[in-house]
Amino acid sequence: MTGHGILLDRLTVRLGAFSLNHMDIAVGAGERLVIIGPNGAGKSVTLETIAGFHSPRQGRIVIDGCEVTRLPPERRNVAFVLQNFGLFSHLSVTGNIMLGLHRMPRGRRQDRVAELLRQFGIGHLAARYPQSLSPGEKQRTGLARALAAEPAVFLFDEPFSALDAATHERMRRELLDFLTDTGIPAIFVTHDRSDAHALGTALAVMCAGTIVQQGPVHAVSRGPASRFVAGLLGVDNIFPARLMGESRGVATVASGGMTLHAVGRQTINNTSLDVLVAIRAEDIDILPPFSDHAVANRLAARILHVVDEGVLSRIGFNCGIALQALAMSRHVREMDLAPGSMVDIAISPEAIRLLPPDSGWLGATE
Amino acid sequence: MGLGDQDWREEEAIPLRSRSNSQPRGLFLACWLIGSLMVGFVVVPLIDLAATPSAASLASAARDADLRQAIALSLEAAFLTALLAALFGVPLAYTLARSRSRTSTTIAAIVDLPLAVPHTVAGIALLMAFGRRGILGAPALALFGMQFWGSLWGIIAGMLFVSVPYTVNAARLAFEAIDPRLEQVARTLGLGPWSTWLRIVLPLARRGILTGLTLTYARAISEFGAVIMLAYYPMTAPVQIYTLFLRFGITKAAAASVLLLAVCLGLFVLFRALAYGRAITVGTGR
Repeated sequence: MTGHGILLDRLTVRLGAFSLNHMDIAVGAGERLVIIGPNGAGKSVTLETIAGFHSPRQGRIVIDGCEVTRLPPERRNVAFVLQNFGLFSHLSVTGNIMLGLHRMPRGRRQDRVAELLRQFGIGHLAARYPQSLSPGEKQRTGLARALAAEPAVFLFDEPFSALDAATHERMRRELLDFLTDTGIPAIFVTHDRSDAHALGTALAVMCAGTIVQQGPVHAVSRGPASRFVAGLLGVDNIFPARLMGESRGVATVASGGMTLHAVGRQTINNTSLDVLVAIRAEDIDILPPFSDHAVANRLAARILHVVDEGVLSRIGFNCGIALQALAMSRHVREMDLAPGSMVDIAISPEAIRLLPPDSGWLGATE
Repeated sequence: MGLGDQDWREEEAIPLRSRSNSQPRGLFLACWLIGSLMVGFVVVPLIDLAATPSAASLASAARDADLRQAIALSLEAAFLTALLAALFGVPLAYTLARSRSRTSTTIAAIVDLPLAVPHTVAGIALLMAFGRRGILGAPALALFGMQFWGSLWGIIAGMLFVSVPYTVNAARLAFEAIDPRLEQVARTLGLGPWSTWLRIVLPLARRGILTGLTLTYARAISEFGAVIMLAYYPMTAPVQIYTLFLRFGITKAAAASVLLLAVCLGLFVLFRALAYGRAITVGTGR
């Protein structure tokens, strides 16, 4: 890669018993990669390695066309943004931003600080110290400081943990606007699925120091390649089934007395007829009563429970096997769904994902 | 800013208020009463001492050239001690704070050792090591012409030995409280390792370091046991007071004591104000 962006090429890092194995990542201008994974997967170590705090055993890190694998952090031109934004409490907002400008000739710094304060709408906070700032103000100061150093790539480590929902949502929107405007590539580390969807253009799922799946956000979230990825991305219905047949792109599977048809590219190996079926709860449709038009994968189901979670309700069914669906609470009330009653449900064949049966450590980690 | 920011501030304030309301009153009162006995134990003898000498005896003590010289020597030696503690103790504290190895745990325990060693014992040990033919004293004399026995250097050695743990421990706690990831952030902003240490780490630990140095200074001024073994002459203030007590009795010693006490307390209050006053400015903005 010669253009703007960051490239990890077969990067391998060893830290005691832990290791990052053959990481391949490419994030170009205007792209935002979200790395998601359970605790201890190596997400933060990945960011720290990119920033220059661990020396890789193998592989290369290329930023804007220059190899930086052996450069110290201060010469890599990356912005590292932490939870709470890592502001320095002994410096004012201006002082913090000044720090990002320390390579600029002294005479021009004042003007640039004023410009950044204006750009981020924090001019009125210039003399304040970080302790007296709200989370939103901290974020703006942290971003202004990072931008001052003109980074080639942004690295965000759990930027929104420990925030209330409303602040979280607002700050995420501001950050997204900022990154879209500047077009600077970004890598996020998070274990929050909603952040992954809202912020990312691409998604990489990590487990035990290895990227187990990566691709465009939608492709990964709609097409998990293993039970581990499906579980991590919040697929609620995962159950074993038997592959009955496959013709012209339609696979037929059976489980607990029901038969389902699935279409689309699947990641099962052909050596076994045992598969796992993965269906997102929101992909299960509850049909209105007495609707008799033909739909694929129509099943009669008994309602086991209904849990109202506010906007959405979670409904448990039994239709030979146990399934969970998410529906708008408004619709649940309108349809008068109650435990014990029977309804018809339908699952679009495109929404059914077939996975290889659990094998080895990837399945076992969840 | 939007509404959300104000919400956040109000939320912050609530737990503080409710905590003080939920304080169990009986328990709090009992602890307060028991604790005030402790405060009395510290304060009453000092007030009693301060009230004892007559104005005339205080004035004559203040005119005593030997005593004034002794107090000046104490202040000077303690100042140099604090300087050395800062120079050598602060870097040590940083390595102890950032290292997780067994060696560093052992070294942290060694640093605390002077707190457990009786000061006269420390004095004997120092006298043997730093004497003319001591393992450290002989080379110091040969190389730098430094003599410890009966000199300012001996006084400083005694003071430093017993008081350096305060600086190392306070600075170590201050460094430990700084998130190492803040140093990483500074590095990615383009600061080199030295620049990061001087511009970020040291200022963030400043309050803890100053507190430690204040304690070291206070401890150094008051040191008697270790100092008298190495240097009876030149006399520091505590040695002078002890001599006055032996030769002239308690009245004269008490007047000299009050004088020393006033000087020490004045400096202690001043240093604490410097250490915390600045910190308060940092906390609330200008």
